[in-house]
Amino acid sequence: MGFEIDWIAFVQVFVSALTATIVVVASYSLGLRMLVRAGRPPVVAPAEFTDAITVMSEKRRARAAKAAAKAAKRNPLTAAQKRWAFAAAIASFAVCALAVLSGLLLIVIGL
Amino acid sequence: METAALIVVLVIGLALFFDFTNGFHDTANAMATPIATGALKPKVAVLLAAVLNLVGAFLSTEVSKTISHGIIREDQITPTEFLPLIFAGLIGAITWNMLTWLLGLPSSSSHALFGGLIGATIVGVGVLAIDFGVVMSKVVLPAVIAPFTAGLIAFAATKVAYAMTRRNDAKPDGRDGFRWGQIFSSSLVALAHGTNDAQKTMGVITLALIMAGWQDSSHADPQLWVILACALTIALGTYMGGWRIIRTLGKGLTDVKPAQGYSAETSTAATILASSALGFALSTTQVASGSVIGSGLGRRGSTVRWRTVGRIAIGWLLTLPAAGLVGAVAALFVAWLGSWGIFIDAVLAVVVVLWIFLRSRRDRVSASNAMSEVADSGRAVKVTRNPPPTRRQRRATRAADSARRDARSDDGEGS
Repeated sequence: MGFEIDWIAFVQVFVSALTATIVVVASYSLGLRMLVRAGRPPVVAPAEFTDAITVMSEKRRARAAKAAAKAAKRNPLTAAQKRWAFAAAIASFAVCALAVLSGLLLIVIGL
Repeated sequence: METAALIVVLVIGLALFFDFTNGFHDTANAMATPIATGALKPKVAVLLAAVLNLVGAFLSTEVSKTISHGIIREDQITPTEFLPLIFAGLIGAITWNMLTWLLGLPSSSSHALFGGLIGATIVGVGVLAIDFGVVMSKVVLPAVIAPFTAGLIAFAATKVAYAMTRRNDAKPDGRDGFRWGQIFSSSLVALAHGTNDAQKTMGVITLALIMAGWQDSSHADPQLWVILACALTIALGTYMGGWRIIRTLGKGLTDVKPAQGYSAETSTAATILASSALGFALSTTQVASGSVIGSGLGRRGSTVRWRTVGRIAIGWLLTLPAAGLVGAVAALFVAWLGSWGIFIDAVLAVVVVLWIFLRSRRDRVSASNAMSEVADSGRAVKVTRNPPPTRRQRRATRAADSARRDARSDDGEGS
């Protein structure tokens, strides 16, 4: 009873999952970073306050929004630089979405 | 012939019920962290998970071929003896799934299914009817490797997410924006779950149809009605299971931050989708738990609670043999009593499922009950509220201190 284990397949799963995850997470993080650089830091309040949320309350959200607006005012970038940063943020989010869609497409067409 | 037809109908019904339990057992895998971080409202999260499980079931059929072509040597078993064994195996899987759901024990629906089928086949036919090479390469090894792989990937992704959004000047870092990202990443996990888990039931039904001679064995792809039935059942199970998780999560999960949740979900989805495409029947519970632990460790100042990790690991280890044992006992009835054994199995299964259902209604769902295995995985990592400074922050502090000292000494010389 010989055991034939396809180790290459395991490596393929690891490498493809790692690459996909890093591309998706890094591009999305870069998008957020660029939004902050563009003077538009996202302040996203929780859709619902569960017990698990210990770091965000309505009061804290308001405070965070105020701090974000203040930081945006003090942004040292010029208006043109901010526009570029915003465009870079959009491009990063687009890369993230494309990575997800292409991964799904590969699965649908059976690699 | 009529008895065989009746058994096929029973197997299909039982397989679909297993699919349903799989759906409500595994809702937490996709939706635990987005509900915990407030990325999605619980009702919306559960509905989204149900719809995406439905869609995911149509994406790929690679895993379904793993079950019907591999683990069990179908050529060594006659259809008349094999159909009751599938029936017994499913009883093992459902019983274990329901029991672990009631007790809040971490378990994998996939391993319960494999365990049940293997146990029933060993008792009904013999050890030689199992291809242990396939069991090893397609079930056991992925089960051991997958949580580590997903954990490692989630760890790296969390580090990347935090490093890329870190601000050393205490200004807003925009990490709240990961809540938006979580809506998509958790949707991907739900899609991956549908792709991976619904196929297991499709595989079982296809296997039963081939054994009964209702489908050509040279075309092992599941038929359209099988795909549709499995997709609808897992979606319904996910939607029904969701109401329990809302209450579970209402009692508090772990301190999951949006960046962490986003990284964990992306890692889970990527691992499951990559393995589904290559035909590995991974346990989504194990992958999601590995990701949650990995992303927790990716945060600065976190440590592992090894006792909790050990408890989760024991649950995983127990699933395959325990479901196998129940499947074996069910197969024993069939071996001893023939058609009467099937009848007794069916009656016992209905009684057990009803008892578990009624018991679950008597005890309100709590954090120690229901689908809390992913939440438990979060508890396996202890995260400090004030993480130690990064190397860059330490360097900046040292530079500021030395600048202050220099300024002070300059003042001293000046006066």
